[in-house]
Amino acid sequence: MKDCYLGVDIGSISTKGVIIDDDNNIITSTYIWTEGNPTEAVKKLLNVLKKNLPKDYVIKGIGTTGSARKLIGLMLKANIVKNEITAHAIGTLTFYPNIRTILEIGGQDSKIILIKNGIITNYAMNTLCAAGTGSFLSSQAKRLGINVEEFGDYALKSKNPVKIAARCTVFAESDLVHKAQVGYPKEDIIAGLCKSVVLNYLNNVGKGKKIIPPIIFQGGVSKNKGVVKYFKEILKEDIIVDENSHLMGAIGIAVLARRNKTGNTYSLEMSNLKFITKAFECHKCPNTCELLKIYRNDELVDSWGSKCGKY
Amino acid sequence: MNRVGIPRSLFYYYYKDLWIDFFDSLNIPYIISPNTNKNIMSRGETVANDEMCLSLKNYLGHIDYLKDKCDYILVPRIRNFKNNNQTCTNFWAIYDIVKNLFNVNILNYNIDLEKKQTLKKGLFKIGKELNKNNHQIKKAYKYAITKEKKRIKQNHIINQNKLKSKKKKILIVGHPYNLYDELIGKDIIKYLIKNNIEIIYSDKFDSKITNPLSKKISKDLYFKYSKDNLGAIAYSEKDINGVIFISSFPCAPDSLANELAMRKIKLPYLNLVIDNNSSFTGLETRLESFLDMIGGKLND
Repeated sequence: MKDCYLGVDIGSISTKGVIIDDDNNIITSTYIWTEGNPTEAVKKLLNVLKKNLPKDYVIKGIGTTGSARKLIGLMLKANIVKNEITAHAIGTLTFYPNIRTILEIGGQDSKIILIKNGIITNYAMNTLCAAGTGSFLSSQAKRLGINVEEFGDYALKSKNPVKIAARCTVFAESDLVHKAQVGYPKEDIIAGLCKSVVLNYLNNVGKGKKIIPPIIFQGGVSKNKGVVKYFKEILKEDIIVDENSHLMGAIGIAVLARRNKTGNTYSLEMSNLKFITKAFECHKCPNTCELLKIYRNDELVDSWGSKCGKY
Repeated sequence: MNRVGIPRSLFYYYYKDLWIDFFDSLNIPYIISPNTNKNIMSRGETVANDEMCLSLKNYLGHIDYLKDKCDYILVPRIRNFKNNNQTCTNFWAIYDIVKNLFNVNILNYNIDLEKKQTLKKGLFKIGKELNKNNHQIKKAYKYAITKEKKRIKQNHIINQNKLKSKKKKILIVGHPYNLYDELIGKDIIKYLIKNNIEIIYSDKFDSKITNPLSKKISKDLYFKYSKDNLGAIAYSEKDINGVIFISSFPCAPDSLANELAMRKIKLPYLNLVIDNNSSFTGLETRLESFLDMIGGKLND
């Protein structure tokens, strides 16, 4: 039997799972939509992974990352739960040890990570606003009536990207509607959108940061060729996009799961697991904490959100 | 009976000890509003204008809490400390805002050093309004100000000692009314303490020392508290592992100070903007990765 390690990255839009062996080779991986229900998404994810995993492997570690990492960490009894910035950096450094800058645009988050000698020296993440992230692009795609997956090809066709306000999603959207009504061709508008994502990113999370090559671009939006093109054009540098760029977080957390292995073995069988969360508001003091109780097979495993520690 | 209400917000975090010493010495009863909770914050949000910053909304919530529990509410107008040391324009306006929104008796004094309105004159003014004689007020002022000066020195020494600590050291930069507020900054501080971080607070330095040092970062600063904050960074830069800048949404002076700090310093730097989001998850992601980064333990 050979050892292997599972990394799960549960983002706001998509859920990614990857299984690696002791030498960081990817044995199998998958990518599905979260659809606002992380526990169901992870159950589906594990089913797919289980089917594709050769029988002679045993899982010796599970790590979770992404915005639902704590919840899914409890569900899978993960041996490590880590934030996505650390996970992304580790995943990337596993394959590109000399990388200096990681650009990442996901569904709700965008981040920039600066690395020197394999150590993160600085990073930034979008603060309050999700402008220019994947969810913005997909909602605009819907408005224009095309699949977000085709966005990149459309953008590459354009020779004159229209100018679209880059600062705020709401302004960008009204700009986009105006441009469409005035009669600009679709590909020019789409190219303009891709360019505005890049400008928004560089003015927002990227501001004040020195972007030094080699640069790698990852997260779901890195699959969009239009955005990649404008990053290259504006930064005047080459941009690496790995074929597994969307999986880097999951790979990173799988690597961490291996480093922190405890000797336990894990199963991917979750179909019988009853995993429920119950939310309620406590009214015993003026704080009115929003509490979340988490049950694993009818047993209370954790509760979150209490300020006083009563629950 | 003349009970004075003190809102536990904004100025409270600058002057609380001084006020309490002063009122105690004059034997004036007072009530301090409780730690911010959701109820207080939402009371503030209902009366506030939507352009106001979170901290100001919070302040108005505390006034709303106090309005029927005391005879006066202490609302100073802190305007400037001379030599291009202005405070936030909301601080200039706050007396008028409160007067317009609430039907309460306001106990007010101005600090406007350009017009020679000093703290001493201010405290004499409110002492007289509370029917104390010159002799009593003089004594109380002396008592309070001597203790205050001692406290500033002590806090500065504590901070200096923290800079020598062997633990990982993070300078927390921000306004005290955000850092120590139960609903705004407390969770962040708690998280850092839990993770064994030595926290150095920017506001605990003696501003006489840090304020002029801000020139190292920029000579054009206009706001006193921005100068204090950036000066604290300049003062401690050599001894710390990272800087976390906490501000409330949408603070105008901080948006400038933050940009400057981010560009001019060479340390790991994190900016957290707090709005009335109820979830700590987003903040936790940023804090956790920040600690991973300054820990440098990624490639073990």
